[in-house]
Amino acid sequence: MNKIFSFTENIIREEDIFMRKKILIIGTFLLIFLTIFTFIEPGLKDASKYDYYQGIRILYWGTTGEDVKSVQWRLLQWKYYNGKVDGIYGTGTYRAVRKFQRKNGLKEDGVVGPQTATAIGISLGTTTNTAYATSTAGVSRSGDEYLLARVIHGEARGEPYLGKVAVGAVILNRVKSPSFPNTIAGVIYQPLAFTAVADGQINLTPNNDSIKAARDALNGWDPTYGCLYYWNPATATSKWIWSRKVMLKIGKHWFGL
Amino acid sequence: MKIRGKAWIPTVILSIALIVSLIWGYNQYKLKNKYEISLSNQYQRLFYDVKKHVENVQIDLSKALLSNSRNQNVLMLSQIMSESNSAQDKLSQMPINHSDVGKTEKFLSQVADYSYYLIQTHLKGEELTSKQRETLFNLQGSSSNFNKELSEAQNKIAQSMENTTTAQLSKVEEANQSVLNTQLLNLEKEMGKSPELIYDGPFSEQNLGKKPVGLGTKKVTLKEAQKIATDFIGVKKVEEISTYENGKDISLVKIPSYTFNIVPENTSKDRAIYMGVSQKGGNVVWMSNPRAVSKVNISMKQAEQKAAAFLKEKGMENMEPNYSLKYDGVGIFNFAYKNDDVTIYSDLIKVNVALDNGEIVGYDANTYLMNHQERDIPEPKLTQAEAREKVKVDYDIDSVRLAIIPKGSREPLCYEFKGKYRGSDFIIYINAVTGDEEEILQIIKNENGTLTF
Repeated sequence: MNKIFSFTENIIREEDIFMRKKILIIGTFLLIFLTIFTFIEPGLKDASKYDYYQGIRILYWGTTGEDVKSVQWRLLQWKYYNGKVDGIYGTGTYRAVRKFQRKNGLKEDGVVGPQTATAIGISLGTTTNTAYATSTAGVSRSGDEYLLARVIHGEARGEPYLGKVAVGAVILNRVKSPSFPNTIAGVIYQPLAFTAVADGQINLTPNNDSIKAARDALNGWDPTYGCLYYWNPATATSKWIWSRKVMLKIGKHWFGL
Repeated sequence: MKIRGKAWIPTVILSIALIVSLIWGYNQYKLKNKYEISLSNQYQRLFYDVKKHVENVQIDLSKALLSNSRNQNVLMLSQIMSESNSAQDKLSQMPINHSDVGKTEKFLSQVADYSYYLIQTHLKGEELTSKQRETLFNLQGSSSNFNKELSEAQNKIAQSMENTTTAQLSKVEEANQSVLNTQLLNLEKEMGKSPELIYDGPFSEQNLGKKPVGLGTKKVTLKEAQKIATDFIGVKKVEEISTYENGKDISLVKIPSYTFNIVPENTSKDRAIYMGVSQKGGNVVWMSNPRAVSKVNISMKQAEQKAAAFLKEKGMENMEPNYSLKYDGVGIFNFAYKNDDVTIYSDLIKVNVALDNGEIVGYDANTYLMNHQERDIPEPKLTQAEAREKVKVDYDIDSVRLAIIPKGSREPLCYEFKGKYRGSDFIIYINAVTGDEEEILQIIKNENGTLTF
């Protein structure tokens, strides 16, 4: 210690006293700031995550409709978009939305959720078009579709396309099975069921392939012929899973009953 | 001394930093505890709820066994249904491995499903048979076993909670978890022994274990299946055809198949076509070509004609297009088999057509292969006018026809009334033999096409 301070002592001149005071003041402010910061609890204030649950229509790759048209129209006026205003959320729209998000400091995910919609200046409706009769208002499967796409993305984004559809199909087979919960969300959020749900990977924004795979699975395509389980032999930790009946292998996953 | 005095600056800064990090750490610790407690409260609530629901199932089952009034029984059974559904739902939210509760969950689903089936028979005016009474009696036995295990777990947990300080809490929690697991595991073993429920419902063993009837008999080898696959997509030369590895138990799935990945000549490898060909009968179960469609050049009507022509070419005669969907530039068409003038919805084939060049990019005959067979279609006992009388007077009917619909393991012949009620589209099915209202479907049209609920 002494050595260090005797070294500093040599280079400290008269005017350094001012410097020291400055450092002291800045340091104190920094500490006060840090102290305040530590008392702010990182509570569940990040509400944007919960928009998925509220039945608000979210626009993403593949959605169509009047609201997509208004997004395209605005982005065209602001020169982010140069394609057709056709109401189909395709590659062009996706790129334009990302560009818009980047320029406006929003999360760049190519999905028009509530925040991006506000920034663009449109309001998102609920999940169905109000033009249809009231007895069907709010009934749609786009919520399930997006949820399924997120799990597929979290669980199997490195897998070939068939492997993605297969993961979606297993979830839908579980919904139909008496041994599992009876809703898609019930199956997906069942504790200890999916690692991607437990470690939060499910909250990543799904890419186009995952959304397409979710749609294919919901349309009835089941490449697993009715399987209820899948596991990756390289990472599976449960011995129990090997007592399952082994059906077929797609990509890295084994599928079974 | 003056120079020495400078030493306090880093010391003070470091000690303040230490205090700050301690405060920060303590806050994190408090926060963690808060979350842990709220989660544990949530789980405890679930546990007590499951216990209560199972208790109610048990009690209502005993009442239903004793009751002699049909109306009373319908009420009891609907309570049993809702209580066991709730129990199943909550059990599946608890942090327990599926392997430890799968059979118990299945038991609860089946109790609900079976009650629903009994309600239906009651409403038709049929009495409980002695066999059904016996089944109810067995179910009551199983549910009281379940309740016993839960009570034991509850007692053990309550005892351990009595003399615990907060410091020991996490250890006790762990112990409680293991108590619960052991108790449920005991139960799981018991449930495995309980007899099969024989009834007609979606969760019945009969329905779960249903075997396909439309496959044919001839066994095909891998080589033959590969030929069937390449012939089906009509490519002359394939660059590469690979088979997905089947496990040792593949014969236990509903339609044991070979699954192929086909790369046609002159296409890139990532644009493979996937296909499943059944080992028995050599039928194409499904085919998919998940390529991107960027431009829409043909109408849905034209695409439908392409799909119909495709089915004809593959030897599928008498297939009639029904509703359709449109996604990502692909039209999805549902075809049902038509026997004379009766539409058979059980025999369903889906064909996907790319709307850029009309290529067939998807095919799914799973349902068709499961159900298609020669049927003895009964003569309708009701005339169309008589069936119309069973439907609400102000239901605005667009079209009527005869159809066979899948209903559990039954396939009743029905009059199909398509129409509108208060601005929404519906389909009503009236049994053409008994006159019962078999099913009501609501049609939802959106920008993607038609969905039924």
